[in-house]
Amino acid sequence: MAAQLSFTGFAWKNLWRRRLRTLLTLGGIAMAIGAFVGLVGFSRSFEHEWLRMYLSSGTDIAVVQQTFLNTSMDESAGVKLKALPVVAQATPMILNLMDLTPEVNALAYGWKADSYEFDSLQLVSGRRFRDGQPEVMLGDLLAGNLHKNAGDTLEIQGSPFTVAGVYHGGSALEAGAVILPIDQMQQLGGLQGKVTAFHVRLRPPPPGEAPDRYLKRAQAEIEAALPGLRAVPAAERASNNQLVLLAHAAAWGTSSIAMLIGILGIANTMAMSVFERTREIGILRALGWKRWRILLLIQTEAAVLGLAGGILGIAVGCGALRLLAALPQTASIVSASFPVLLLFEALGIAVLAGLAAGAVPAWRGAHLSPVEALRHD
Amino acid sequence: MISPILEARNLCKSYDEGRIEALRGVDLSIAAGEYVAISGPSGSGKSTLLQLLGGLDTPTSGQVFFSNQPLGAAIDLDDYRAHQVGFVFQAFYLLPTLSALENVQVPMLALSRDAGNRAHRAGALLREMGLEDRLHRYPNELSAGERQRVAIARSLANHPSILLADEPTGNLDSVNSARIMEMLIGIQQKRGMTLIVVTHENEIAHSAPRHIRMRDGLRVGGDESRLES
Repeated sequence: MAAQLSFTGFAWKNLWRRRLRTLLTLGGIAMAIGAFVGLVGFSRSFEHEWLRMYLSSGTDIAVVQQTFLNTSMDESAGVKLKALPVVAQATPMILNLMDLTPEVNALAYGWKADSYEFDSLQLVSGRRFRDGQPEVMLGDLLAGNLHKNAGDTLEIQGSPFTVAGVYHGGSALEAGAVILPIDQMQQLGGLQGKVTAFHVRLRPPPPGEAPDRYLKRAQAEIEAALPGLRAVPAAERASNNQLVLLAHAAAWGTSSIAMLIGILGIANTMAMSVFERTREIGILRALGWKRWRILLLIQTEAAVLGLAGGILGIAVGCGALRLLAALPQTASIVSASFPVLLLFEALGIAVLAGLAAGAVPAWRGAHLSPVEALRHD
Repeated sequence: MISPILEARNLCKSYDEGRIEALRGVDLSIAAGEYVAISGPSGSGKSTLLQLLGGLDTPTSGQVFFSNQPLGAAIDLDDYRAHQVGFVFQAFYLLPTLSALENVQVPMLALSRDAGNRAHRAGALLREMGLEDRLHRYPNELSAGERQRVAIARSLANHPSILLADEPTGNLDSVNSARIMEMLIGIQQKRGMTLIVVTHENEIAHSAPRHIRMRDGLRVGGDESRLES
C-alpha cells in the first residue's frame, strides 16, 4: 500500500527537488575527487612503478651522492663498492628525462651492457646494445609510441642512434624508457666519468642474521667505505626520491585546491538549501524534531552529496588515469592500475568534505527558532 | 477542582527588546478534553499565546505548565511538541516534496523506528480524514481543504493529548471551513483530546463551549468555571 518514508529517503528527496543545483554541485565535487584520484593516483602509481622496477631487477640498495637527480658521483667509486664483502653486484647508472620527439618524453637510463638489471627485461626483438656504440634499446611501450623497431634509427639530442633491440619491462618506467650505453649518456650530457647512482645487489644474509639487520649493516658498511655517499634501501628510494616527492607534492597541492573548490560548492548548495527551507525547518521543529535531528538531516544531505560526487569523481579520476597511461607524453611514467586503497581514501575524503561543507549550514538550520522559521517567507 | 492539563501563569511575551508587547500577563487554565476557542483582532496576542502554549516559543516572563510541570524546565520543549501537541496551521505547512502519506509520517520519524508501522498509521489517519484516494498525491495536487485534512492527519500522528489549531479555516471557503471544524471537533470528542482553536471568525468562536477573547495582549473574557468547580 504505502510508500514508507525513511530518514535518508527524506534527505534524498530534499536534494532531488533542486535537481539542477544538485547535479551541478555533484559535478563540482566529482571534478574535485576526479582530480584527487587522477593526480594522487598518478603520483602513487609513479612511486609504485619505481618500486616494481627495483624489485624486479633485484636491486637492494642504491648508492647516491646527494639527490636522485644529481649525476655527479665519480664512476670510479664502483671499484671500492664491488670489493665490499656484502656486495654481490654493483652497476653504475645514469637517469635522465629526455625529449625524444616534440610529443614524446621518456625516461632515459644509461647502463653498462653487462648490467644485472637487464636480467629482468625480456628481449622482444633485436639484441642488447654494446658499450661504446651509438645504440639504444627501447621499451615496448616507447617503441610503439615512436613507431620504431629493432634496426631503425632514433635521433637523440641531434645524434643518430641505432635501435639495437626492443624489450618488455615489468614496470611502466621500463616499458616506456630508452636505455643507452652509459658511456653514450655521459657523452650526450658532457658527464664523462660521472654517474647518477650505483645499484647494488647484496649477497644473501648470513644464517641467523635477520634481513632487516643485514640491510642496515650493509648500508653502514657501504657508507663507511665510501664517505660522502649514501646507501639507500630500494624501497625507500622508490618512495623518497625527488621525482616521486615532487609528483606527490604537485598531486596533493593541485587536488587540495580542487577539493577546496568542491567543498565551497557543497557549502554554497547547503547554505542556499537551508535558507530556502527555513520555513520547512520550522515545520519540522514544530512537529517535535530536535535540533540534532535537523542537524543530522542537513548533514546527511551534505554527506550524500559528497558520497555521490565521490563515486562520480572516482569514475572521472580512473578515466583520467587510463588516459594518462595511454598518452605518449605520460605513458612512460604511469600505469593504468591504481591502489584500491586510494578509492576508499577518495570516498572518505568526499564524505568528509561534504560533512565539513554542511557543518555551518546544518548548525544554522538546527538553531533556528521554530516560530521565527515558520514566519520566514 | 479538575487539574488543568495546560496552565499559563502571568504569561508575558515581548519582541524587539521590549518595544513590542504581544502578551502582557495572561493567566489561563485549560482542562484535559476541553475545547476552547481563542479569538481577538489582529495583534491581540492570540497566536502568540497559542505558540507559547504549544511550546513553539518561550515566554519573556511567566510560565506555561503542562500537567503541572513547567514547560522548558521540567519538560523539554521538543519532547513536549513531539509527544503531547499536534499543530494545525492556517497555511497548512505541508512539505512540498513529500506526498500526503509521507507528510503524515514526518512527525513519526522523530519517535518511531518502524517504517512499516509509520506508513501504516499514516495511511489509517488519512483514510480517517476521507483521503484514501489521495495518499500518494503531493500538496500541489490537493485542494486547500484536502491539504488541511492532511495537516490534521499529520497533527495526530504521534497520539498527542492536545490539538492546537491556529486559524485552521483561514485559507478555506465556507464549505471546507465547516467540514474542517466538524472534523476537529469530532476528533476532540472521539479521542477525548484537548482542542484549542485560535480564530477570528465569530461563528467558530461562539460555537465553542469555552471562548476566550484577547485584546492588546490581555484576556478580556472567558469562563474558568469548569476548572474552579
